[in-house]
Amino acid sequence: MAQFYPGTSKVAENRRKFSNPEIELEKLREISDEDVVQILGHRAPGEEYPSVHPPLEELDEPDDPIRSLVEPLDGAKAGDRVRYIQFTDSMYFAPVHPFVRSRSYLHRFRGADAGTLSGRQIIETRERDLEKYAKELLETEWFDPARTGIRGKTVHGHALRLDEDGMMFDMLRRQMFDKSTGLVSSVKNQIGDELDEPVVLGEPLEESVLKEKTTIYRKDGEAYRDDKDAVEVLQRIHVLRSMGGYNPE
Amino acid sequence: MDIEIFPHRLLSADTTEGLLNNLEGIEGIKRIVIQGQRLPPKDVNQEQRTITLKGEEIDLQIQTGRILMDIEDEGIIDESIIEDIKSICEDHLPFGFNIHVGTFIRKQKTVTDNLKYGKALNKISKDIVGLTDQNAQLSERATIIKRNKQ
Repeated sequence: MAQFYPGTSKVAENRRKFSNPEIELEKLREISDEDVVQILGHRAPGEEYPSVHPPLEELDEPDDPIRSLVEPLDGAKAGDRVRYIQFTDSMYFAPVHPFVRSRSYLHRFRGADAGTLSGRQIIETRERDLEKYAKELLETEWFDPARTGIRGKTVHGHALRLDEDGMMFDMLRRQMFDKSTGLVSSVKNQIGDELDEPVVLGEPLEESVLKEKTTIYRKDGEAYRDDKDAVEVLQRIHVLRSMGGYNPE
Repeated sequence: MDIEIFPHRLLSADTTEGLLNNLEGIEGIKRIVIQGQRLPPKDVNQEQRTITLKGEEIDLQIQTGRILMDIEDEGIIDESIIEDIKSICEDHLPFGFNIHVGTFIRKQKTVTDNLKYGKALNKISKDIVGLTDQNAQLSERATIIKRNKQ
């Protein structure tokens, strides 16, 4: 069995849960395909997928044994463009954080390229595959409407205090909390262009639920130092890497 | 000495307005600096708006993260003024806050001020010093509100 992450804490268990592709993540909300396309902002809903090369079937490619081993993605077969979705995860108990995202993306999403930065995380793949992955990322436990931001640009805010409604700071206010309904809606697409109709993302998760679901070690949640197993493995890796195979005896 | 209010959440324009209007009533506060993330123009972010303080319209260009207060007479920093500030904060900041006493606002003119203002620096009141960051135009960021003579 693959060893995804060490540790006995709930956080470690959650990290393993996201990384293990055999575990199906809980679906928390319903977002239509059309709304996902709108939030992504790469093409208008209903528009044909623009392509960068003719379909693979029409291309006269040289013989290569790898081609028979690896099945191309649907998007690659059709010659789609490579497009992206990027998330910002608040340090205040967001369900996932960039490094867990990257590890899990590589386990779960075929043919996708993940890029990790301290406060944001991008995934790039062919457009029609991206839409499929984005839908999964938005509908399941990966996403919380208040603590996760869909931000193609102007990503600043992951390390700031939350605002009075419990939303992560967003300079462009893409996700808005409606006090009367208690629901969060996306009013702009990921790069900040106004949407014709807001897309309802649902209720923010309760603090206690987030603390159960989070993959972030925090002193006011579960502290990393208290997870003895995880620390032990980390220290072992640190020593092995520092020694680099050097054995003075 | 200065007093800093550090709310546990970033404040909306409404809360900032209410809080500042109440703080204004406390005897002994000479200057107030509000610090936070700068916001883009109103058409992008509706939190960027004007707030009214003692009838004076002030352009709130930020989302308030901290409030710094310069106390007029150092002898006045006793428990009572902190208690007053605390009770006002409790009304406006139900999510929690910290209050720190220390030096948070620059009080002296510096070489950078000299480079920025040149000879005009001598004419600038020391009450204006330290209110904004060095790169900003003072006129865009500072508002002077007259105190009611009683």
